[in-house]
Amino acid sequence: MDALKQFFMTAPVDPTVFAHSLWLIIALPLIGAFVCGVFGKMLGRANVHLVACAAVAGSFALSVLAFWSVSHVQGGMPVSTENPFSTGVVRYAISADYGTWFSAGTFRVNYGLMVDHLSGILLLVITGVGFLIHLYSTSYMEHDEAYWRYFAYLNLFVAAMLTLVLADSLVLLFVGWEGVGMASYLLIGFWYSDTAKAWAGRKAFVTNRIGDFAFLIGSFLVVLLVGAFNAQATSANFGRLGGNAETAQVRFREGLQQQGPLSFRGLEVMANALPVTAENAQGGVSLQSTIAEGPLAGRTFGGVLTVALLLFLLGAAGKSAQFPLYVWLPDAMAGPTPVSALIHAATMVTAGVYLFSRMSFLLVMSPTAMVTVAIIGTVTSLVAALIAFAQDDIKKVLAYSTVSQLGIMFMGVGMGIFWAAVLHLVTHAFFKACLFLGAGTVMHGNADETDIKKLGGVRKEMPWTWATFLIATLAITGIVPLSGFFSKDAIFHGVHHNHLHGYEWASNALYYVGLLIAACTAFYMSRLYLLTFEGKRSAEAKVAHAHESSWYMTLPLVVLAVLSVVSLVYALPLMPGRNGPQPVMENFLGPVFASAERIASAGKRVELDHSVPTFGNYLVAWLVVVASGALAGFMYMKFFPSRAGQPAPAFARATRRFAQNKFYVDEAYEFLVIRPVKNVSGILYKLVDTVLIDTVAVRGTAWVTTRVGSALRYVQTGDAQAYAAVMALALLGGAVYALIQVLQ
Amino acid sequence: MVPISYYLILAAALFCLGMFGVLIRRNALVVFMCVELMLNAANLTFLAFAKQNGDFIGHVSAFFVIAVAAAEASIGLAIVIAVFRSRGTVNIDEMRTMKH
Amino acid sequence: MSFFDTHLLNLVVYLPLVFAALLCLIPTGERGQLRTITFIGMLVDAVFGVWAYLRFEPGGAEFQLEYRTRWLEQLGVSYHIGVDGLAVSLLLLTVFLGPLVVMASQTYITERVKEFHISLLLLQTVMLGALVSLDVLLFYIFWEAMLIPMYLLVGVWGAEDRQMAAVKFFLYTLVGSLLMLVAIVALYFISSTPGTRSFDYATLYNSLIAANREISSCMATGGNCGELAGLAGTLYRWGPWMFGAFALAFAIKVPMWPVHTWLPDAHVQAPVAGSMILAGVMLKMGTFGFWRYAIPFFPTATQQARPFLAVLAVIGIVYGALMCLAQRDIKKLIAYSSVSHLGYCMLGMLALTHEGATGSAYQMLNHGVSTGALFLLFGFIYERRHTRLMSDYGGIAKVVPVFTAAFLIITFSSIAVPGTNGFVGEFLVLLGTFKSNLGMGIASVSVLGVILGAAYMLWMVQKVFFGPLTHRENQHLSDLSLREFATVLPFLILVLVMGLMPQPFLDRINPSTERFITRASLGIPGNNVQADQVQISVMGLPASDLAVAPTAQPSGPLAVRR
Repeated sequence: MDALKQFFMTAPVDPTVFAHSLWLIIALPLIGAFVCGVFGKMLGRANVHLVACAAVAGSFALSVLAFWSVSHVQGGMPVSTENPFSTGVVRYAISADYGTWFSAGTFRVNYGLMVDHLSGILLLVITGVGFLIHLYSTSYMEHDEAYWRYFAYLNLFVAAMLTLVLADSLVLLFVGWEGVGMASYLLIGFWYSDTAKAWAGRKAFVTNRIGDFAFLIGSFLVVLLVGAFNAQATSANFGRLGGNAETAQVRFREGLQQQGPLSFRGLEVMANALPVTAENAQGGVSLQSTIAEGPLAGRTFGGVLTVALLLFLLGAAGKSAQFPLYVWLPDAMAGPTPVSALIHAATMVTAGVYLFSRMSFLLVMSPTAMVTVAIIGTVTSLVAALIAFAQDDIKKVLAYSTVSQLGIMFMGVGMGIFWAAVLHLVTHAFFKACLFLGAGTVMHGNADETDIKKLGGVRKEMPWTWATFLIATLAITGIVPLSGFFSKDAIFHGVHHNHLHGYEWASNALYYVGLLIAACTAFYMSRLYLLTFEGKRSAEAKVAHAHESSWYMTLPLVVLAVLSVVSLVYALPLMPGRNGPQPVMENFLGPVFASAERIASAGKRVELDHSVPTFGNYLVAWLVVVASGALAGFMYMKFFPSRAGQPAPAFARATRRFAQNKFYVDEAYEFLVIRPVKNVSGILYKLVDTVLIDTVAVRGTAWVTTRVGSALRYVQTGDAQAYAAVMALALLGGAVYALIQVLQ
Repeated sequence: MVPISYYLILAAALFCLGMFGVLIRRNALVVFMCVELMLNAANLTFLAFAKQNGDFIGHVSAFFVIAVAAAEASIGLAIVIAVFRSRGTVNIDEMRTMKH
Repeated sequence: MSFFDTHLLNLVVYLPLVFAALLCLIPTGERGQLRTITFIGMLVDAVFGVWAYLRFEPGGAEFQLEYRTRWLEQLGVSYHIGVDGLAVSLLLLTVFLGPLVVMASQTYITERVKEFHISLLLLQTVMLGALVSLDVLLFYIFWEAMLIPMYLLVGVWGAEDRQMAAVKFFLYTLVGSLLMLVAIVALYFISSTPGTRSFDYATLYNSLIAANREISSCMATGGNCGELAGLAGTLYRWGPWMFGAFALAFAIKVPMWPVHTWLPDAHVQAPVAGSMILAGVMLKMGTFGFWRYAIPFFPTATQQARPFLAVLAVIGIVYGALMCLAQRDIKKLIAYSSVSHLGYCMLGMLALTHEGATGSAYQMLNHGVSTGALFLLFGFIYERRHTRLMSDYGGIAKVVPVFTAAFLIITFSSIAVPGTNGFVGEFLVLLGTFKSNLGMGIASVSVLGVILGAAYMLWMVQKVFFGPLTHRENQHLSDLSLREFATVLPFLILVLVMGLMPQPFLDRINPSTERFITRASLGIPGNNVQADQVQISVMGLPASDLAVAPTAQPSGPLAVRR
């Protein structure tokens, strides 16, 4: 055991040396994208496969090294990196700074990359799952002409996603954030000749842009907040960081100059130095102090922070498909299935969870923001689960299930159980990727049939797919002893036992809704599984017999299925913690969320619980899930087939149609947002631009000039005497005026 | 010694006669004569002031005016003849070519 | 002191003129030669322009590469040129576009080839001249001279409604600039006493500093500023009017809402070269004018008009974007997107924060690159199909993949996806607006442009490139030729370079920004800007024999009789 521990804690490469090569992790897929995109057609299919897969595989190898490096312990000292904002260091992290990206005034952004345990584990997920999906795609896209474009986009996506998790500042994170959105736009609309698919891509991008709008405003508010803090903080604030307060303040200012205000490390230092209440501040600023000058003058630090976090929530809702911006994700299934697996299940959509985990130290300062995050997550999760009941498209069911699972992660993040949310992110990446890839295999073997009512009985024909799909289904429903059970239950347990000051009711309420969601998940996943794999083959099936796919496609399935089992290790309380044994993941992510813990315990606004679920908790969760799954099994295997051909009761049909049409949310948006904008722009163009400004104001001026000109034409008689008379009269008038002036 | 104001009043009267002539007469020749009248009114003023000041600047100006008047009369009359030849009239109401 | 030390800018400005003269000697029929010579001229000019850009030292004097000589001394005018950071950046943009414009028009223009290229070269000279001139009258001459070649480009080589568009463009811009002339002359008369009056930018500005400081300190105390004596009083009473005249001229050129309606017409009717230059350089003359003349000359009036102008800029951003959604004509859509983008430039400038102003200046360059490239690309497809309506395309991505890829990249730059140039500018502008005291409302509304931008650009891309191929005529469209690709490639490279390594560009803009902000904050009541902080120092008039002559005593018989 000790030898194993020693092995994991000794990186093969010196971490400080390796840190300089972090850029390679992003650069490899980027180069892959460039090569595939520009020379792909000349290279041929096999070479493109090689380049694309090799780029991601190389990136994966480097990610393993990075992950290893951040666990490196030498002589009892863990690997650490300098914190430019404080006198201390960041432990269990490596970082690299490649100079300024842009700077103006007091603002600056650096090309700074950082790996700590949180981003390290995501690196592995992205490159690992990414590689498997690349491998899978080589077979899945074998008949497509535009393979080179596909792999270029896919590599581009991986590069953007890696930028997102490696970034050490909000701006660089935003680069990845938008980059994945762009890659997702390109991939959803990959088969662009189909108008509906191309529109789906645009819908995804524009919806994401609404989120980005909020993200940008949130970032600007944070910049203002940091500026105000820098101006108003006293040594009492910096004294809270430990060590000499003056030095800490100087160091913080230096950090702002060198790294800019949006660096995560700087924000963390600020969060640590900013007490929640005025009593703790000892003359320094606190969340209750008001900002003295600037555009936010008169508002409190806490208020601005809450608003900024809520804006980030809207941003995250766009990217992670949460209410009210989740509408793009089901449509995004228009893309190739491996894309859905990679982007719209495993990686990109979890960016919101990552963002809040990354900024956990800010989030715990605002219970209001936390509870909003949790409630949004819960509502989304429940709504999506209900919609998933009535969907017949295999990919749509999985899409809504993704939305629902992301909602659960948001619940966890919102209630402060960050490690469990990240764990669920990881396990979900495994089993949902497995499910999507399985669905892809099913489609591949059944002539692209996606309607589960027209499938059925594929179990015997596609044994590998069946087995892996079953494992993944059991994992997502939460059956012991698969990883999904533990990660989901860890979230629900945390939700139940963490308390937010002022929102104590939320803990219980969300917990019970959570159980309901778990039951729903079990129901619709069982339905999906049963209708697809069990029973008799549907009479409407496109092909009589399905065929199993090649090993390129089944191997990733097997690996992912195995991973979704073994990742349960992370949830087991094997590590020694402060109060009893601690789950591995909690222990592992401890350094990342240490600031959040400290701030929460000092501020007393958020109570974070560290107990381990008891056997009784597990039993309740398990029973709920099994009961619901069994109900689905009973209904779909025994009850419905016997009633085939008989009309369902009217209310059932109405409910089903309501759910099938996704509660008419898309229609509501169309009616409330899109139409008005279009109509307003049309009216403005026709009325204001064309008529009011151009015709009335501009041409009107021209018209008046013309009219005045033609009126004055009549004065010009051509009679020299008349002209002379006018001259004489004018002269006379002048003379008279001069005379009057002189006489006066 | 006649006071200077007498000369000036006479000149003003002449000038006004000339001006009204220019403005209201129809015959181009008469208009010309009226223009001459105005010029001579100006000459008279010049000489009156020259006499009062006792120098020759006024005289010089008067000579200039006379020269200009001669030139103007010769060219003007030539134009009038040319117009008469082309239109058969010297009535200026008939001539409105300036309109175009 | 070599020749290039003193005459580099002259060389950059007048080289196109020399080549234009050269073109006159070439027979009209020799189209290939005409094009090649123009191209060479533009290329050599670009080389010298880049050299000038590289010679500009960011940390050096405000105006560099100066040249000054005597000209119309009686009026206080001198021939004085030089560049600051912003001007040299825009100069770079102008010379960059030059050769590409010629390449873009190679097959587009088939009639009156000689005259076309002469106009292009003339236009290049006068645009560069307007950027570098440091004498207000000289600037005005170049500014007005710009209209003539542009009028010809639109009016002679434009599309079906070219006459109307050209006249509209000409009159619209002329109205504004004539008012500006009045203001320039008025400024000339009030700024100094007879004999010492000058049109020189630095002299004019320096003579106003004291008065501007007096006004702002008077406004801080709340006294009756109308009773201020001397120049300060005059400036207080008439400053807003003069600022209005300057602002109107520049606002029309920018164009700001609601004086923007000439732009869609001019863009739609102009040939590809005209659109590129119009969007790429000429619109920046408006923002440049605000930056160089209107705001520093009248800081107090700027402060008073700032909320109003900022609201107009925000209206421009949102309104321009909404207009795009209502268009059926692709060129019109791109033109309206210019209104929206230039709204960002104006907003960033009016924010009067370092971030905002730097972003605004950078956005000027970005817009020149990305919108110039959009017009260029659209020009290529227009040459093939001769229609501007979106509905006449659809699904052409399959037929012209390289063209589509280039168009998509430029689209992403236009909607400011991070990693492209658009992001850096837009981010800084928005950040600057949030940091400024314009208020959260204005700032938040301006961010709406981010959403709408994506909505309309992708909508257009969707309609034109994606979906099934709807028109049989489009089935055999040819993809970009080598020449066309070579024209687009510099844009694509620049989009990425300016997005990933903006700092070399920003380094040259930053010192200008700082001076601009200090000069503008002279108008804030109760500021403590010292005169020596804002004073402009330029080179003096060179001594010459002519200068001595008027003061020498006259000799000869006439002198004795005096």
